[in-house]
Amino acid sequence: MLSLVSALAAAEEELDLGAILTLSTEFCITSADENVCQLTLVLEWENEFIRPICILSDYKEMAKWCAESAETHSLTLSISTTDDIHFVMIDKETHQTLAGVKLKVTPAAEPKVRRRYRNPWSLF
Amino acid sequence: MKNLNVLLLTCILFPIFAWADPVDSCGSEYECIEIGRWDIGLALGYGSRSNPLKDYEDIPIYLAPTFAYYGDNWHFDNGNFGYTLVEDEKYTINLTTSFSNDSAFFRRWDPSNVFLTNNNDLDLKSFSIRTQPTVIEEDQGVPTPDELETRHFTYLGGVEAYIYTRIGILNLSLAHDLLNVHRGTEAKLKWLYNHSIEEWKFELALVLDWKSEEVVDYYYGIRPSESAYWSENFQAGSAINTGIELTSHYVLTEHWELLFLARYTQLADEIVASPLLNEDHTSTFFVGTAYRF
Repeated sequence: MLSLVSALAAAEEELDLGAILTLSTEFCITSADENVCQLTLVLEWENEFIRPICILSDYKEMAKWCAESAETHSLTLSISTTDDIHFVMIDKETHQTLAGVKLKVTPAAEPKVRRRYRNPWSLF
Repeated sequence: MKNLNVLLLTCILFPIFAWADPVDSCGSEYECIEIGRWDIGLALGYGSRSNPLKDYEDIPIYLAPTFAYYGDNWHFDNGNFGYTLVEDEKYTINLTTSFSNDSAFFRRWDPSNVFLTNNNDLDLKSFSIRTQPTVIEEDQGVPTPDELETRHFTYLGGVEAYIYTRIGILNLSLAHDLLNVHRGTEAKLKWLYNHSIEEWKFELALVLDWKSEEVVDYYYGIRPSESAYWSENFQAGSAINTGIELTSHYVLTEHWELLFLARYTQLADEIVASPLLNEDHTSTFFVGTAYRF
């Protein structure tokens, strides 16, 4: 977990290491009735230097995934979450953080309410 | 009467001095409404509003509406308009309109009586049959209902404040006649306590309702054209009515609820002294079902 946290921090610093990690969907708005985001995500990456990579995330179903070859450039995931998910790409051998991306989960806006000042049956 | 006023005043003022912490609980501590959406409902059942005026019938209640719309700052609620000047966790200050219930006793189609159904027009017609000239001294010269000039409905406009405490809501309001009908002023001090037990919701209110001399004189005073004797012998003065109100509803479904309602108002001595009245109180009850759209 500590390594993911530090990797996230590094990714957020937008290190320019010749690597790009993109997400097919970056925002998910959940309905008011069902507060869960369920969708299929495609992670894609490009590396300036050919190297094996791993993807770390704070999604409990996929804490760490490593590409079997340097020729692999995408990963498809079916996720179900109520919280944001951070993905970080690292160098498989050196564990150097290469890039990061985040799925933002936003609940649909709740209806705005305010105090009602009168008894609904005040006409009696 | 004065003892009752003191007791009610103590009950009403106790919350603010004893426990002024705010609460924040839609539904259980106070009613909330969705902004930008009409809240419309209709209650069907049976009830009655007593009429303290001599020779006027009580008013049966079979159905009653509720309709409200709240924007970010202004609102429309059961016929009254309001504009919120300050909305805070602990208190609210509104500019608002209101209408007096007094005209409802004289006028079948007063807004306060909307959807309340009367038996028929017997009030006035039967009066001439039922009430033959009496020899009771006090009744001499008391104008009959059809001899009374019209007591008009009017809108009041003013300011109101709500103070939210852990043991209820304190509501203070001050309003003046907007339509120059009686040119009087009314003030109200009300303590409201909401409580929920699962699907049961209760609201208890204690009320002190002050009416200026102009209001009392307009509705309960006697004009010289109506009775020269009583116009001189009944001098209206400002008055404070005291009341207790209980509203309870049981939520059956999202739209349906059972509604139980009781109101009792002890009229001020200054009003009871009017020759137009033969009761010193007015009461309302209603039992029925309500549908909220």
